[in-house]
Amino acid sequence: MTTALVLLLLAAGAYLVAVLEAWTASGRFRLAAPVVAGIALLGRESIVPRKPDRIFFEVAPVLLLLSALLAAAVVPLTPDLIITDLATGALFINAALVYVLVALLMAGWGPNGAYAMIGGWRFLGQLIAYAMLIVMPITAVVMRAESLLTTQIVASQASLWNIIYQPLGFVLFFVAAMALAFLPPFDLPTAKGELAGGVEAEYGGVRLAVFRLGRLALIITLAAATVVFYLGGWQGPWLPPWAWSAIKILAVTATMLLAGHAMPRIREADLLGWCWKLGIPLALLNIFIVGILVLALP
Amino acid sequence: MSAQAFFIGFFGLASVWFGVVVFRTHSMMRSALALLFSQTALGALFLSMQAEFLGVLQIMMMATEMSIMAIFMVMFMMDPGGLGEMDMTHQKRLSLAAGFVAFAAAVAAAVFVDWGPVASVAPDAAQQTHDLGVELLGRSMLIFETAGITILTAMIAATAVAMPPVKRIRNK
Amino acid sequence: MITGARHGKLSGLRRLTALAMARDLRAFLVPGPDIARAHGLDIEAAGMQIVASPRHASVLLVVGAIPPPLREAAAVIYAQMMRPRALFVLGSDELDQLPEADVRENLSQQYLIKGVRRLRTAFAEGAFRSDVADFDAPMLHARIEYTCPMHPEVVRDEPGSCPKCGMNLVAREAQAPAGHTHTDQQEMIVDADMHATSDQDHAGHHGMDHDTSAKYTCPMHPEVEQNEPGSCPKCGMNLELRESQGTKSHEDAGINPDGDHSGMDHRLMDHGDTAFMSMIDVTKDLPRSSDGLPMDWIDVPFGPFFPGLPGGLLLTLTLDGDTVAGSSVQTLGGNEELLQHSAMDSGSFIERLARVESLAPVSYRLLACRATENAAGVEVPAVTACARVGALERERIASHLGWLALFGQQTGFDWLQRCAASLQLKVQNAGIKQVLALKPDMEFLIKRLQRTPLLKSRTAGIGRLAPNAALHGPVARAAGISNDARSTDPSYSALRFTPVSREGCDAQARLQVRVEEITHSLALIAAAGVIEPPTPINIGEASGAGEAVVETPRGVARLRLTLEKGRVIAAQLETPSTHHLALIDPLIQQLALGDALVAIGSLDLAPWEVRQ
Repeated sequence: MTTALVLLLLAAGAYLVAVLEAWTASGRFRLAAPVVAGIALLGRESIVPRKPDRIFFEVAPVLLLLSALLAAAVVPLTPDLIITDLATGALFINAALVYVLVALLMAGWGPNGAYAMIGGWRFLGQLIAYAMLIVMPITAVVMRAESLLTTQIVASQASLWNIIYQPLGFVLFFVAAMALAFLPPFDLPTAKGELAGGVEAEYGGVRLAVFRLGRLALIITLAAATVVFYLGGWQGPWLPPWAWSAIKILAVTATMLLAGHAMPRIREADLLGWCWKLGIPLALLNIFIVGILVLALP
Repeated sequence: MSAQAFFIGFFGLASVWFGVVVFRTHSMMRSALALLFSQTALGALFLSMQAEFLGVLQIMMMATEMSIMAIFMVMFMMDPGGLGEMDMTHQKRLSLAAGFVAFAAAVAAAVFVDWGPVASVAPDAAQQTHDLGVELLGRSMLIFETAGITILTAMIAATAVAMPPVKRIRNK
Repeated sequence: MITGARHGKLSGLRRLTALAMARDLRAFLVPGPDIARAHGLDIEAAGMQIVASPRHASVLLVVGAIPPPLREAAAVIYAQMMRPRALFVLGSDELDQLPEADVRENLSQQYLIKGVRRLRTAFAEGAFRSDVADFDAPMLHARIEYTCPMHPEVVRDEPGSCPKCGMNLVAREAQAPAGHTHTDQQEMIVDADMHATSDQDHAGHHGMDHDTSAKYTCPMHPEVEQNEPGSCPKCGMNLELRESQGTKSHEDAGINPDGDHSGMDHRLMDHGDTAFMSMIDVTKDLPRSSDGLPMDWIDVPFGPFFPGLPGGLLLTLTLDGDTVAGSSVQTLGGNEELLQHSAMDSGSFIERLARVESLAPVSYRLLACRATENAAGVEVPAVTACARVGALERERIASHLGWLALFGQQTGFDWLQRCAASLQLKVQNAGIKQVLALKPDMEFLIKRLQRTPLLKSRTAGIGRLAPNAALHGPVARAAGISNDARSTDPSYSALRFTPVSREGCDAQARLQVRVEEITHSLALIAAAGVIEPPTPINIGEASGAGEAVVETPRGVARLRLTLEKGRVIAAQLETPSTHHLALIDPLIQQLALGDALVAIGSLDLAPWEVRQ
């Protein structure tokens, strides 16, 4: 029951993300556009390119969707609305999301096309940049909650949200989450103007529909995770918990989507350089500060 | 047969099967990802043995590591679209021998080591995580910290060795 | 009804999907969005979305007349599109390589909108049909050639035995020669259509002259062999054509029947049982990149319809990982004859030049006018000259805005792309009042550009070009050379013109120069006070030789022509893009792919004006 409800909410969220994304990208707000585009995609042919690695080509979109759904399974929307409250929840989100990388590598390798392949390898390079910036801020969050349970993490922010308690960690996590969802300006693997769609370039029809759905689910899951880790989850005055979760998640999604369209795509070399030379020291500093705070303020 | 035993068997066999695929395939990329899924199945095996933290950690770490291995394999072996008819085995006799010795050693260790009394009920996952943390920062701290520092040193040293001694010109 | 309909009966659920497809039209543009904008078309306002990959497109939109090599490339794109697909042609009659157009309209926004409406009806009614014919064209066939496994230099069109060792030759797919027009997207996927069709068709496509010894085998399971194409019973992969005996006896030698393994000899991996597989041995003959790591190099075609490059430009990059190790560039859009027949009257010559150079029609019209006037010895009144300045500067603004839009598209800077493109469409045919009314919008754009994060790191230091004589226009002015044909033009001196100059020599400086020139051009238009496109002055039956230069948005263009009794009998054109094309190869050596594209983009090439 809970599972079905969460999946339904996730689908609704993914739909809203699609509307928001089209709005930020083209400047037109059309509520029906994603459903029309979806039906049209399902009706189209889905060609397998020549000499593919058929297994990878077929598995990649499904794996992308699956990893987003698995990560969503441990994200609480209200104290009860969570598919499974794993004792290793905060770590599990990470483990599930790493398979986004595997899915993209497969999607890059499978179709035997140069644009897709470069896109896939680019995403691997991107992972090397952002991966640490996902794990280390979560570590600091977990330190404060003294638990890997996601519900416990939300509960630990009852007095003060983590965005204020550890703003540095929030910024790093937010940026890394955008990189993980390959949202602009981190859309290196799908770069339209550089790789003509990259990992997506060879997909069409049903497979493309699944791939895009997986991407949308990934974005909404990451936004939900950001809310849980830093924005106090379902907590808030006046409104019921589910409403607060929904409002916060949509606000985070909109911010993530809007930020990218106002700037050019980042250079890979810059991304790596900044993440390693600036991001990781800052993340360490964040852990250090939180450690002191946790000890000093019981 | 309980569900737990079934899953342990299933993931164990899956792990072995993916391990075999690593050498049976002709594509570097498939080989690397087969190894990844072999390790993931191992993580799932841990999960079905109620070792939650270990399982999740295994599943998470291996994805990154094997993907990075894949790019190195492809970079150096030049596998065009996985259609290269590449043979994944070499030094066959030596590796066969090494494989048998290692297998025998593992079986011997499993059989002959005194593992102590069997716990009737596994502690719950949160308790396990807690115990693991205490263990890592207590008795085993020195071992883990030494290993960590050693690996880090090795990585930095390897990078330093790999860098060509020419002065890099930055595009400025 | 559309020719590229998908197989099936239009009923029930399919009717619904057909309606959705009619609403959701996604267009792949040929030759590109830059040309569409230059023709004043706003594709998105007409209700279509522009996509970057043919796989995602349902409409192939051909804008204007395109030369034969581009038609061939467009046919490949059409084959790569997934059905149902439609061909929508604006203002072009000759499309011999492509199938019959589903909708054909004139080249203007009004007709575009009308055509979209017709397309929607066509999709709603004919997206599915029970009798669909395959699109088949000669360039979609992969050529099979036969080669000896031991002597790779032996390559034959027919099967047979090797003259050197008598072994049976092995079939493989011919590699497209470099720079061949198939190469719009990856050449590996040119005959995508094959997979859409049944297995019989597949055999028909491939089956040029394979004899009975040709077998189909699975790349993963060499033991699977059959006479018919199909999929592998073990893993489901498509079977590949292979000449059975030759391959079989030499499988151990590890020679790849595809011939893709150019740089490498697999025998090294299989030798001796106990010998260690040495990475040094394996990679010793490979070309080294600057970082000393030997890696697989791949040739990747970018263009002629690549979303981040000017339409008509075909760039082939040899990529070493993500780094450019080599490149070749050619234009499939340019090199059109200036004089269609032996001689043409001056009026049609002017029109023709303006039409051929579709990215800067006003500049070239002005160039042709000036050259004919010079040859005929006609003086232009100062008022006319001043009005022409207005028109030329307006085109400069539009062209630079178009460049900004392309840059935005290339670098994923959506806001810039949208904003610059809409301004370009507004400016390019506007009257003097409207142009000046758009000034605040342009100033806002420029101000916002200066504050954009990541823009500096994206462009600074990229595509460095030392000042030299080969540089023209904004590229030269960004390298501190202030040569500008406008400096010597009396009508510009009257408006107190001074050329822009920057010292940066890189993509950032070029961006700044173009942005600054927009401001300067606005000031010039305000000073000129009038905009009037150049119209040919009646030169009567004059004869003589003449020459003219015009500072086009991309640099100095020079035209020499000879008149005989009012007719142009010889013409010679020199354009900035011709010079810039030769700069590309050294410019992008060892740059990362993204940087290389920015470097090329910063030159603002117009493939249509290249003459070689």
